[in-house]
Amino acid sequence: MAGRRVLVSGMGGDLGSRVAALLEAEPWVAELTGLDADPPRRRLRRASFDLVRPHEHDRIVDLVTTFDPHVVVHVAVWEPFSRATPARARQFTDDAATSILGAAAECPSLESIVVRSGIEIYGRSRGAPTRPDESAAIDPTCEYGRMLAGIEATAGAIGYRVGIAVSAIRMGPVLGPHVPSPLGRLLHLPAVPFSVLADPPFAVVEDVEVARAFAVAARERLAEPVNVVADGAITAFQAAWRGGRVPIPIVEPGWAVGRLISGLLGAPVPDHVIETLQRGRLADNSRMIELLGFKASTTTIDVIDKLYAWPSVTRVPAREAAA
Amino acid sequence: MKGGTSAGGAQVINLPIGAPAPPAMRPPRWDVDDWGRDSKLVGLTVRLGRLRWSLTLDGERRLPARRGALIVVNARRYALTPVFTALALGETTGRTVRFVGRPDVVPFGPVLRRLGGLLDRADEVRGALRAGELVVLGARPVVHPRRVGRVDHEVIGAAVSTRTPVFPTATLTSPLTGHARIRIGSAARPGRRRRGPLSELELADVVERRIQRLLDELGGAQTGTLLDWVPLGVAGG
Repeated sequence: MAGRRVLVSGMGGDLGSRVAALLEAEPWVAELTGLDADPPRRRLRRASFDLVRPHEHDRIVDLVTTFDPHVVVHVAVWEPFSRATPARARQFTDDAATSILGAAAECPSLESIVVRSGIEIYGRSRGAPTRPDESAAIDPTCEYGRMLAGIEATAGAIGYRVGIAVSAIRMGPVLGPHVPSPLGRLLHLPAVPFSVLADPPFAVVEDVEVARAFAVAARERLAEPVNVVADGAITAFQAAWRGGRVPIPIVEPGWAVGRLISGLLGAPVPDHVIETLQRGRLADNSRMIELLGFKASTTTIDVIDKLYAWPSVTRVPAREAAA
Repeated sequence: MKGGTSAGGAQVINLPIGAPAPPAMRPPRWDVDDWGRDSKLVGLTVRLGRLRWSLTLDGERRLPARRGALIVVNARRYALTPVFTALALGETTGRTVRFVGRPDVVPFGPVLRRLGGLLDRADEVRGALRAGELVVLGARPVVHPRRVGRVDHEVIGAAVSTRTPVFPTATLTSPLTGHARIRIGSAARPGRRRRGPLSELELADVVERRIQRLLDELGGAQTGTLLDWVPLGVAGG
């Protein structure tokens, strides 16, 4: 098991660099390399890194096949309105999945793939299960869910053809002090919209727990999906209340206006976040212990309380104008 | 955060690392659980229900203290029997009790979810039972107050797959006197050990028969006339 080469795609982002930092400490990881369009957000001591854009197909194939990884951890997923508009997020995610996973399939040493997914993949159509477990049907009802379903399908097809273990970390909405989360941004606004007729509950998870899940899944060569969410649930109204924000009641036609105003205030809201606020988003996390050996140490309410305690961006003006 | 200037002219920013976090705001506790049940709203509904109904509950000691259980009750049409049974059981046992059969449309769906409602889906019930919850399932509602409708074998299958005991339970209510009675029977077991889905079908039949027997045991005058259909005494699901 020792002496394995691990490739982390999306190593530049907050989540990818956290995963890389955890994998650096694993004794079974001999070599660690990463790809992303942005440089890593934290100091990595052992890992090497290549700055590459998702559409640079030939370069990605060359880098991946030269490295010949045993394990691929695919974190390169752009959530709509986290760091890119929905159209660009879809394009980047699709390009990255096709290039990186496609190149990994050509590597003779490949043993397992761990892909980033989300509980948006289950969808929230009428009559859909309230807390879907991993066996629930994949029926996405938002753009982000369809993107994630596409990644899982691509990885699953590779696993079937090559005969390797493929797992998906289906994480709830991730919040963290440096995570560019559209839901986190919305909840941080001075006024938070909530569905007055439903105000459904949703669950979130902290970034450190998700990073740990990726590291364990890579180590254990997990071969099935696992829901990674914190225990408990909260509604938008309750979150706003806890954060000292003004809850704004909204009924169905008002969501378009609310979305527009939120976008103008610097917190654009993608359709999967609107779906979360209108229909809720929960998942059964009972298999985390069995598959990953741990459960999230913070509950959803703790994470929301932390969200409001994390300091905002402090802008420090330049002391002197640059020449 | 404070800024300063070092000897070399560079701006030094002192970030508040290690500084004590500001005291967290402690708003009144008003939470929902993993399924969206609001215990405060449940408590309020129970208190309101007490103004209208007096309840006699027996057999609750048969329920497991910590493990999950599926409680199957007879249901009369438009009577919301599973809801009231879940609220009454929750108050008596002090445990979280959920019921099957909330709609998924606003505003009724969200309100019933706050009271502990689950969708009428086997996978939803399976998740709750696996988590060790008490779940109340209503048989198919019927008009006659002393009959029990069909029991959904797919939901019974959720109990079979999670090895959860199933308790047949009879409920009788009298809207005129405001009295309600719930009797929980002993756990039902299928007659034969099966390897396939026959076990859930047979267990559903057993549960149905046991509820009917419990209803018969609860007594009450049987005139054989239309009066039997009228909830004059403690009768009707």
